[in-house]
Amino acid sequence: MAKETEDPIVSLYRDSFPDFARMIRRMGGNPEEAKDAFHDALLIYMEKEKAGKLSLYSSPKAYLLGTAKICWLHARGMGSSLALPEGFEAAEQDDTDTEEREKSLMESLVRSGKKCMELLKAFYYDHCSMQDIAVRFGFNGRRSAAVQKYKCLEKVREEIKSTHAYAQ
Amino acid sequence: MLMRSELNEVWLIDQWLAGRLCEEEARVFKARLLLDETLAEKVEAQRTAHRMVRRYARWEARNRLDSIYRLLLTETDFAHQLKTIFT
Repeated sequence: MAKETEDPIVSLYRDSFPDFARMIRRMGGNPEEAKDAFHDALLIYMEKEKAGKLSLYSSPKAYLLGTAKICWLHARGMGSSLALPEGFEAAEQDDTDTEEREKSLMESLVRSGKKCMELLKAFYYDHCSMQDIAVRFGFNGRRSAAVQKYKCLEKVREEIKSTHAYAQ
Repeated sequence: MLMRSELNEVWLIDQWLAGRLCEEEARVFKARLLLDETLAEKVEAQRTAHRMVRRYARWEARNRLDSIYRLLLTETDFAHQLKTIFT
């Protein structure tokens, strides 16, 4: 069914989600919870893969099912003894006020400078090379891409400093 | 890298946040932080900037996963499997 050129995440999703949904059903969960935990686990998987920090002891599917189960247990308040992979605080976010403030700050940063947020995402989150970033964003080489990256970071930083939401 | 001094400072703060300064540089930077409140503010705002970039990236990735889910639900076999699991 899967085409050769298909996005590997789509194939992994198709191959793994029904098994995870079965597992969650057996443990008394519902479809929505299954999807949320599965998406958290996929995010962790993709982030680790991009950062070159994915250690697979078996298959991607086994990793995903194990991580998704931990995410589901955490969401149900039952996973405190099981650690989520490092750097994934989003799944444990339970302070609603902070969550709202951070969300609104992010939205305001995207509204006022989407291109900068895209550029910073490409570098810091997707771990793209400066050369790739230069091509994708139309800069004249790696050096100007690097300078632009720091200009963007400075712009975002200054906006955060002047935002009421950040002023607590 | 030659940049205007403000950008060099953005670079330096980035190195500090990523723990990439050597022991001596880190000691000097830490001392500056204690003496210079403006620098300390910049460091905290830059830390928040990184958190916002990650939040934005995760938000986009979640949207992508939602579209993949909707796409797969249009496949008969996938949709049928899910339907039988939860009924």
